[in-house]
Parts: sequence; C-alpha cells; structure tokens
Amino acid sequence: MKYICDLCGFVYDEAEQGPMPDDYVCPLCGVDKSHFEPAD
Amino acid sequence: MYCVRNVTDDLIWIGGNDRQHPIFEAAHPVPRGVSYNSYLLLDEKTVLFDTVDRAIQTQFFENLDHALDGRKLDYIFVHHMEPDHAATLGDLMLRHPEARVVCNGKAINMIRQFHAADPKNAILVGDGDTLSTGRHNFTFVSAPMVHWPEVVVSYDSTDKILFSADAFGTFGALNGILFADEVDWERDWLDEYRRYYTNIVGKYGPQVSALLGKAAGLDIQTVCPLHGPVWRKDFSKIVARYAKWAAYEPEVQGVVIPFASIYGGTETAANILACRLAELGVPVQMHDVSVTHYSYALADCFKYSHIVFAAPTYNNGLFDPMEHLLRDLVHHNLQNRKAALIQNGSWAPASGKIMAGLLEQMKDIELLAPVFTLKSTLSPGQEKELEELAQAIAASVKGSAAPAAREQAAKKPKGFVCKICGFIYESDTLPEDYICPICHRPASDFAPLE
Repeated sequence: MKYICDLCGFVYDEAEQGPMPDDYVCPLCGVDKSHFEPAD
Repeated sequence: MYCVRNVTDDLIWIGGNDRQHPIFEAAHPVPRGVSYNSYLLLDEKTVLFDTVDRAIQTQFFENLDHALDGRKLDYIFVHHMEPDHAATLGDLMLRHPEARVVCNGKAINMIRQFHAADPKNAILVGDGDTLSTGRHNFTFVSAPMVHWPEVVVSYDSTDKILFSADAFGTFGALNGILFADEVDWERDWLDEYRRYYTNIVGKYGPQVSALLGKAAGLDIQTVCPLHGPVWRKDFSKIVARYAKWAAYEPEVQGVVIPFASIYGGTETAANILACRLAELGVPVQMHDVSVTHYSYALADCFKYSHIVFAAPTYNNGLFDPMEHLLRDLVHHNLQNRKAALIQNGSWAPASGKIMAGLLEQMKDIELLAPVFTLKSTLSPGQEKELEELAQAIAASVKGSAAPAAREQAAKKPKGFVCKICGFIYESDTLPEDYICPICHRPASDFAPLE
C-alpha cells in the first residue's frame, strides 16, 4: 500500500518502510499523518 | 507615478524594486535590493500575474492602474502564496472585486489563512489544466515544493512564455534593466542568482529537477520570474546552472574555507592552508563566518567541490557562527562534497567532533583527512602538517588519488584503473554499471591494473 501527501505529493510506500507510525511527519513538507491518503 | 516596462507588445512588467529593507525574508541580506515582479497581460481578457510585497504596494497599484488604462481586471493568476508576492492580494481583491482568482486548492486555503478572505468565483486549476484569455492560451503546471507546496507555473503556448514563480529568480533590484541580456550576467548577477537559489530553494533539489524536466518539454522563448530579470535570450545558461545546483553538483573544482576565529589562531591556520592550496594551483575562497553572513558561505559551499571548515571550541562546544552555518547546510540538503576539518581548543578541543557529527547528517560528504587540531595557535612544525593537508586536498581536487592512496594501490595490484583520472577500483571484477566516483566515467573507461 502506498500513501501520498496531499500537500506536496511525497509518496510513502509501506512495502519499503513498513506501517506508517502515528507520529509520522512528511519528510518533504513537514505535515502530519492526517495529510496522507491512499495513492491510486 | 507609474514605472513600467513592456515585456512584449501586450505583456507589461508592473512590479517594483525595494532597496530600503536590508534583510529579505527576515534572514538574508540584500545589499543590492530585490525586485518583486508582477506582470499584466492585455489580451481579450486582462490577466494579472501575481502581486508584490507590501513594501512596494503603492508603486504596484499605480502601475496596475496605468497599465489597465480603465479596463477591468478579469483574472489574477496566483502562482505562489508567499507574502513577498501575495501580501497585496487582499487589497487587490477589494479594489478589483470583478477579478477572478485563478489558482489551485492549496493556494485557496492559504488565501483564507493570510487574508481572512474567500475569493469569490475563483477558478481552481490542476496540473495540466488550460485557460484561454483570447489570443493567449495558458497551461498550468504544478511545481510542488519549488519551494512551497502550492506553487504552480503557467505556460503561454501562444507567445512561448513561462511564468516561473520563484524559479529562475534572484536577489538584486532591477536598476532600469528588465532583461537578463541587458546585463553582464556572469560578471554581475550569477553570484546573487546562486545565493538566492541555494538559500531559498536549495533544500528542494529533486523537486527543482522535476520542474526542469517538465520545462524541457516546452518551447520556451521567454521566462518571467517573480524576482530579477526576465529571460528572453540564452535561457539555457541559467537552466544549466539550475541543473547543477538541483543535483548538488559543484560548479568549480576548488576549495571554500568557511572559518571562525576568536583570537586569530584558527584564522592563521586557515590562511596558511589557503596559501598552500593557491600555490598548488587550486581555486580557493575564504569566508569569516563571524563577519560574512552565512548565506554567502552557504552559496559557496554549493559552488565549490571541496570545503574546509575551521572553527574554535567555545563553551566546550562548537563556536556558534560555524554551528549556524553547518546546521544551515544540513537544512539545505547539501551533499556530495569532499571536506576537511580544522579545530582549535586551548585545553579541550571539541569543535572538530561536533562539526564531523553535523557533516554525518548530510549525504555523501567524504572527509579527506583526520581532524587537524591546533591548541590556541599552530605549534612549531604544524605548518608542515598543514602543507600535507593542502597536498591531500589538492590531489583530490585535481581528481587524482592522494599520494598515500597511490602507494597503497601500488602494493595491491588487483583492480581496475580509470583511464581518465587514474582512480583505482580494487576488486577482481568490475561491475558493468560501475561509475568512476571521481570523474563519473563509465566502466568502459576502466582498464585492468597491470
């Protein structure tokens, strides 16, 4: 499953990075986990 | 009184210059001032491309009134919401309630945040959307994190004009000129373009590379940035610089020495090292980071291939001006450099370890030598050690392995040598996709060691 940051477009790939932690922040633009949505 | 210049017959620069505020973005000195560019297109519909900083709003509104010449304002394209371009947007919407804001959803949110206003009848555009204003046809291209998330650029396919937001901009007021071909660009402007890019956008190299990739597919004749001169000729020369900066590739094989020195001991060591490097034919630049603003040192760390950080110990730590520069380099994602460290401490030198720790937070920074330590001042004989450090750095700058590495290689003849620069890859086999780490040539340029 991949998630994409709705602000800057950064993609988080669970296959590579494991489940997204609750305190995850986007490494590119700095917003919190609530800004990530499933990527198509 | 208005002060405008035409970009083309129907496109007018209506921006202005601020030479009174000495600091840009509350951080960067702008001794040459800065321009805030806004443009007005007089097509069947009128289009305003961004607004300006509050500092020059009086000039801007006089320019806009003059350029409109009684026509109504149809569209306001908002490429970037940072207040140096959008501070005047709130007032503009009050003065021109008839105008429709054209922007993306992220910008709409920021308009609400910055201006406590909700643009009525805004036209929301996404990546690839188009809008015709009569003779001109615009395509919107998202450029997230160049250098804010809402940034878009727009491309006029009729006159081949790219409205590039903060990309391809610079510090420096436009002293009567409007176009980059009206100045001696390399001599008078390149350094400020580099300082602007590296300090403002430098962190986002991959995103800038993505924008360059999108731009490469367009036939671009003119580029209208939000700061600095308009490009109508030789656009490729700024693109070539951007490609290097975005990839964190140095422009100059040479050494920059950012140093700090409280009572002169560290500075003397830095001076001696610089002398030896210059004698060896290596381009060298120095910055006293206690005196020169870190934005200049940061720009040169992007420019040069090799960096020597020299700093004293203070409060059992690293002297603050150097710590500030190094943290700024970490924040700006600097990578792919060769480095050396000089530390000073009169009883317990600690600055070298802290500098090394900060360098470890950056990608692909190679330390060429152990930390060079002086206690208060250079002791007799240490000038020879500095000379050896200079030789090791010079050998690296010139693309050859250091003498010690060459001797080691001579003892271990198994491997492959780069025919271009002499780099030796020690192994029984050479991977097909191997790239020389010194000169970046492919495996085909390597020969087995005899």
